[in-house]
Amino acid sequence: MGSAGENIVLELEEDDLIESTPVIGKIRNFQISRVPSSSIAIASLSSSSSFSLRRASKAIFSSVNTVVFKAKMNVLIPFGPLAIFLHYLTGKHGWVFFFSLIGITPLAERLGYATEQLAFYTGPTVGGLLNATFGNATEMIISIYALKSGMIRVVQQSLLGSILSNMLLVLGCAFFSGGIMHYKKDQFFNKAGVAVNSGLLLMAVMGIMFPAVLHSTHSEVQYGNPELSLSRFSSCIMLVAYASYLVFQLKSHRSLYNPIDEDVEHDSDGTEEEEAPLITQWEAIIWLSLLTILVSILSGFLVDAIQGASESMNMPVAFISVILLPIVGNAAEHASAIMFAIKDKLDITLGVAIGSSTQISMFVIPFCVVVGWIMGEPMDLNFQLFETATLFITVLVVAFMLQDGTANYFKGLMLILCYLIVAASFFLHVDPDDN
Amino acid sequence: MTEIPQFGVRKDIDIDLEKENLVSSSSNVNRKIAFQTSQVSSLVNSSSSSSSTNQFFNRLLINIQVVIFGTKINTLLPFGPLAIVLHYFSNRNGLVFLFSLIGIAPLAERLGYATEQLAFYTGPTVGGLLNATFGNATEMIISICALNNGMIRVVQQSLLGSILSNMLLVLGCAFFSGGIVHKNQVFNKAASVANLGLLLMAVMGLTFPAVLYYTHSEIHFGKSELSLSRFSSCVMLVAYVSHLFFTLKSHKDLHNPDNIESTILHKESGDADKETSNEDEEVLITRWESIIWLGVLTIFISALSGLIVNTIEEASVSTNIPVSFISVVLLPIVGNAAEHASAIMFAVKNKLDITLGVAIGSSTQISMFLIPLSVVVGWIIGKPMDLNFQLFETVTLFITVLIVAFMLQEGTSNYFKGLVLIMCYLIVSASFFVHVDPTGNH
Repeated sequence: MGSAGENIVLELEEDDLIESTPVIGKIRNFQISRVPSSSIAIASLSSSSSFSLRRASKAIFSSVNTVVFKAKMNVLIPFGPLAIFLHYLTGKHGWVFFFSLIGITPLAERLGYATEQLAFYTGPTVGGLLNATFGNATEMIISIYALKSGMIRVVQQSLLGSILSNMLLVLGCAFFSGGIMHYKKDQFFNKAGVAVNSGLLLMAVMGIMFPAVLHSTHSEVQYGNPELSLSRFSSCIMLVAYASYLVFQLKSHRSLYNPIDEDVEHDSDGTEEEEAPLITQWEAIIWLSLLTILVSILSGFLVDAIQGASESMNMPVAFISVILLPIVGNAAEHASAIMFAIKDKLDITLGVAIGSSTQISMFVIPFCVVVGWIMGEPMDLNFQLFETATLFITVLVVAFMLQDGTANYFKGLMLILCYLIVAASFFLHVDPDDN
Repeated sequence: MTEIPQFGVRKDIDIDLEKENLVSSSSNVNRKIAFQTSQVSSLVNSSSSSSSTNQFFNRLLINIQVVIFGTKINTLLPFGPLAIVLHYFSNRNGLVFLFSLIGIAPLAERLGYATEQLAFYTGPTVGGLLNATFGNATEMIISICALNNGMIRVVQQSLLGSILSNMLLVLGCAFFSGGIVHKNQVFNKAASVANLGLLLMAVMGLTFPAVLYYTHSEIHFGKSELSLSRFSSCVMLVAYVSHLFFTLKSHKDLHNPDNIESTILHKESGDADKETSNEDEEVLITRWESIIWLGVLTIFISALSGLIVNTIEEASVSTNIPVSFISVVLLPIVGNAAEHASAIMFAVKNKLDITLGVAIGSSTQISMFLIPLSVVVGWIIGKPMDLNFQLFETVTLFITVLIVAFMLQEGTSNYFKGLVLIMCYLIVSASFFVHVDPTGNH
């Protein structure tokens, strides 16, 4: 038992703060299906004694050890309960908002970690699907909560902000750090996969633009709610497109996504790619559900506090939804993208950043529209002109920058500066109808 | 060559010039002038006594000859003083505008020449910086004059027009002429892609204030986009400075062998010019002389710019042409005339990288440096210059950058692409011919 514990500690030291990223199954080697050493130890234990209680407590202890205590980010966990306290004891919405925001970060990261662990057991395809669906679980949960409270603009803006932050901030920081580390030459990445993603992003932009343009040119038919119907229809189409994209990526065209092999072969040697799953399948599922529940609880408080926080901090709600929420929600992906760029594995970075943007734009957004349809909320794809124009320009700029397959620190710097401009615009933006 | 008088030298220069036509800053002309002039100056120096006034006069004559009589475009020089005379003695402001416009062209060209000469003395890095900052000195001076007069729309439109003319007209003419002479030309994609990325970022910086304003979604109506513009301008200036750093220091060898980046910054410097032999171009005037010429030319340009800015509105009224058209189309054509000619010449010589350096580099410089600089200068002197170029101009810029980016991204050119770009420019100018600001001029 002791040796098993040591093994766990040794393997975890490689992980530290960086969660194994919720990538859409492109890079991870899903052929690994080694049984974790802890369960071997536990199995051997059980074979010697039949004290099921002791076995269960040992299992729980090791699980908690692995999941909770071994990630440095989890020092932020206490902020969650603190936020709940503050909500019930005081009326300080600003503090509640901040604390729940900070409290969600480690939970989101652990959620990604649990998803990854589960993916080890389910094989590459289902694992990819898992990552694809739960990779942005935090954003999905927050959006569904906001949708239930009828805060449609918050949903639209927070999802938009997530796309923008992934494409500009995360990518920019990664390119910048990677470029600084590899100072003298450019870094390369596989253009073909990125091109597919750019195409999907542009399709998402199209889907979002048409309702907005229809509305702002006052040229829609006058009966019913045309933008809503158009949005719902487009969302179904976008979901179909996303599903076919998954098939394309995971089944038929896997070779398209092979990373560029510079000097290092990452798929076969024993670096961090060959991770053994550290918790059993059932543990992973249990943790997954537990973390989802916790994230949901905190999201509830977060969403309720947005309005009050905006008033008390004197910041527009748009800025909070578009800039602050996503930065925190994406913090773990941010850190891992930077780490992979520094290690010259830009394909993984791009998978995290652009893949996440694609997932949000082609899956989470249409999914929210459909959920809203089911719930009876009028969530549509009309993100209002300013947000739509922002998305359009950003996708164009990023697609252009990525199309030649190279990266250097200057590109990263440009992307970060573009994000500053976008953030500044949202700082000065309110909805024209005073929503 | 034993004749001492400078007229003999000038004859040789004229003969050589007939090959080069209007293109003044070409290296060939310089080289030939250098050859003869250095002979003359050495002869003159050796034959004269060592009295300093004699030397001073000799240098003065050589300078005037090199700088003023050295190119054909300077036949347009008299239009400048003529414009000043007309302004003070008559009231025909339309003519004043036209003459000062014509008079600025040769001055702008000579300013570029003097900058280049100075760049020889300061080494490649500072030389690159010099070119990067003063490459569009004429536009900068016109903009500051207009800003001082509070004519914000003229500033915005003239800078926009400069970008459009560089990207569409200059590039189109160059591709067209080069394509007629050589069937298919290739150029180094990497550098132009980097510049286009910067241009896209500039478009982003320009679009957000406009969109914020037009969707009526700003917090303090009318004031928010000014603050946003000022913030974005600082960000864009930071980006431009890091771009300079990036190209001058760290990635110097990235874009070899044609070395387009340093070409942008050293205009037609030696290392880009491979066919024509041993290239250390002679400097024809000393360092102090070039600085003095820079100062003199700047003063003249400022004087004429002042005239232009003062008379633009009356000229528009008397000729019945909208001010937008004058600012967007006419002003930049004149200000860029010299770059225009040299870009065409380099394309015809199959040195497309230099052409792209001139055209796209100049657009990048204006959009990422001059425009934010004018906003900051406006901030300092208290004028409300912002990045909200109004919807029509912003959309024009956006579409143009997209088209050019798309055309350039595969790295080849032919006469058809050039023709398409020229046609696009005609469409753009026609649009501005029938465009007025919706609320009238500021």
